[in-house]
Amino acid sequence: MGSSSTPEPPPLDDATLVALDEVEEGEAILAQQADTGEVAHEATLGGEEAGGGRGWATAAWGAPGFAWLGFFLLAPLIFIVLVSFWTRTDIGFSKTWTLDNYSQLFHDQTYWHNMLTSFETSLIAVFLCLLIGFPVAYFLALKVEKMQYQIGLFVVALAPFWTSFLTRSVAWTYPLMGREGALNQVLTKLGVSSLDDPLFDIGFSTTSVRLAMVQLYVLFMVTPLFFNLSQLDRTALEAARDLGGNWFSTFRAVILPQIMPGVVIGSIFIFVLTMGEYGTVTVIGGNGVSSVGTIVQSKVVAIQYPQGAASAVLLLLALVVGVFVITRFANLRKEL
Amino acid sequence: MATEGAATAVPSSSGVSGLDLVKLTKVFPGGGVAVSDVNLHVDHGEYVVLLGPSGCGKTTTLRMIGGHEFPTSGDILLDGESLVYMQPHKRPTTTVFQHFALFPHRTVLQNVEFGLKMHGVGKEERRKTSLEALEMVGLEQLSDRYPRALSGGQQQRVALARVLVTKPTALLLDEPLGDLDRLLQLRMRVELRNLQRQLGLMFLHVTHNQEEALSMADRIVVMNDARIHQIADPLTIATKPATELVARFMGDNNIIRGKVVEREGTRLVVEDDHGVRVSVQAPGEATSVGEPAMVAVRAAAVEVVENVGGPALNSAECEIVFVEFLGDLVKLHLTVGGERMLAKVPGERYPSFRGREGEKIRISWREDDGQLLHA
Ligand SMILES: Nc1ncnc2c1ncn2[C@@H]1O[C@H](COP(=O)(O)OP(=O)(O)OP(=O)(O)O)[C@@H](O)[C@H]1O
Ligand SMILES: [Mg+2]
Repeated sequence: MGSSSTPEPPPLDDATLVALDEVEEGEAILAQQADTGEVAHEATLGGEEAGGGRGWATAAWGAPGFAWLGFFLLAPLIFIVLVSFWTRTDIGFSKTWTLDNYSQLFHDQTYWHNMLTSFETSLIAVFLCLLIGFPVAYFLALKVEKMQYQIGLFVVALAPFWTSFLTRSVAWTYPLMGREGALNQVLTKLGVSSLDDPLFDIGFSTTSVRLAMVQLYVLFMVTPLFFNLSQLDRTALEAARDLGGNWFSTFRAVILPQIMPGVVIGSIFIFVLTMGEYGTVTVIGGNGVSSVGTIVQSKVVAIQYPQGAASAVLLLLALVVGVFVITRFANLRKEL
Repeated sequence: MATEGAATAVPSSSGVSGLDLVKLTKVFPGGGVAVSDVNLHVDHGEYVVLLGPSGCGKTTTLRMIGGHEFPTSGDILLDGESLVYMQPHKRPTTTVFQHFALFPHRTVLQNVEFGLKMHGVGKEERRKTSLEALEMVGLEQLSDRYPRALSGGQQQRVALARVLVTKPTALLLDEPLGDLDRLLQLRMRVELRNLQRQLGLMFLHVTHNQEEALSMADRIVVMNDARIHQIADPLTIATKPATELVARFMGDNNIIRGKVVEREGTRLVVEDDHGVRVSVQAPGEATSVGEPAMVAVRAAAVEVVENVGGPALNSAECEIVFVEFLGDLVKLHLTVGGERMLAKVPGERYPSFRGREGEKIRISWREDDGQLLHA
């Protein structure tokens, strides 16, 4: 009894650790959507009772948010869906049920053509924003050492947003991309192009609309990517290199899976924002370019509320499908 | 030869086999010198611990060897071949990082497999080798868990298994036990050391914990302020510190700072301002009478004798400041004219010292326990 032996850690330790893991799970879910399967599995193993108690508290915290959503999002949405099934009159609509608005839309070539163009625009915007946004976010989050510099550079990157939307978009038309715009002026000075035979004359075109959108929305990609990337454990990236990964394989195997939430969120942002765009299209595209958004807008201006509502509802459905596809795509990548 | 224990070590002449750091220096932009003129030779199969206080450049040294930091000057040779311009993923070294740095989105097995995957090993073989490594660290039944569902000790073992599968020539460990609680630390010391013996690999382990270094190392490298102060086996480090810094850092040393008052052959007598006289054997030292000198005497080598008065050499009359009972030993905090001294006596003697603060007492030690220090 008086003998001393090396003490074994008490078995209690493991129990405590399991309990701690429980607490951390909440954060882990936020941090890693990909692991949901595993998390759910563990939750059933460990804490049924704790889960029930927390559910009510969470709901209570969420209540004001749900009220807000209900009032500002759900109510108008329901109203629009209702209107889309009502009959058009000269002064607006009457509450007579009809499917005419939709059947007219289904035969409207321009509408579907615009839908496709908008879709193409959105895909291009998402793709280009990823391509341009990732290096920016990567540099800011992982190559800039000091927090102050990170924040400073981030604010600089936000600079375009300090000016109003209109100023920014107008700058894209004649002053920048037009026949005698800055780009051609510079190229002429450099001797690459001449003002008589300019390389760029894409003011008021689909291309300029798309380019402008990328510039206008790229920060919606940079921001989520930046936050995801800055949460990465830098030593884990070093460990990957240490274990034999080159830059690319480290990116694929360690960085990409962990920033997938950011990629998805950024893509959804840009997809949704560009799909419904009508401001940029009107200002930069002028009369030459139209989109689903401009159609909705023109119908509203023409007091064709039910048709406008129906076009908006279809647009919304397209958005829902798009968002669904984006999230599925992200999950698919995970499983591969 | 007594080259061990010298303040600066020259890399072994047989620099062909093993790891050699040659005049390795790292100056960070902004002028911070993290590592300065470090020379070290480590043999294959040797367990070397880099020990030093926080900020002394241990991590930076390890990162340079692993290829995560580029040296300002100097060279790193493995079996005679320079690693300096080699990318980290091409180096035959792997690192166990300070906080394990596991991949949170990969299961334990996937974490362990990672290195093999990067080296293009096929799926079947990858899995087999990884499970073997997990078995070696006793975690095969947790292979499907995610790292966050593991305890610190388990994460530690995953980190080990993850580097071991890549069959490194040298394993670099940065404070591998730092994140574990004390009991687990004690257990992992033994496990880690056994693992290293079993594998016969070169381990370079960084820590600021003296006890950990003493208990695990074949050789200890004591660093401070970007420089190496002493390279020696644990017994030498503990009993024959080469410099004042090592003596202070290893703890529980009495440092007597004074002037040489006598010299006969290799024997010096040093006397401090309070008249404490200590004799010491210092072969090969050229210190002459009148020059300043420092002598360390371990607290554990100090004997406490009750009778006040007695021989003046290797002895001192002190006042007890505080009696600290630590279970199996008693630390007597003493003072000689304001100079602090420390004596460690067995715990059973606590009753004879309890409550005697303020009283006078005499301590003495043997000449062999004195150790001349370098600045
Ligand atoms: N990237 C860096 N830039 C500038 N200075 C650095 C950098 N990394 C480390 N240093 C400095 O170099 C010195 C040595 O750092 P190092 O991390 O090697 O210390 P350490 O011995 O590992 O300390 P600890 O025990 O606290 O981990 C410190 O003064 C530190 O501030
Ligand atoms: Mg360190």
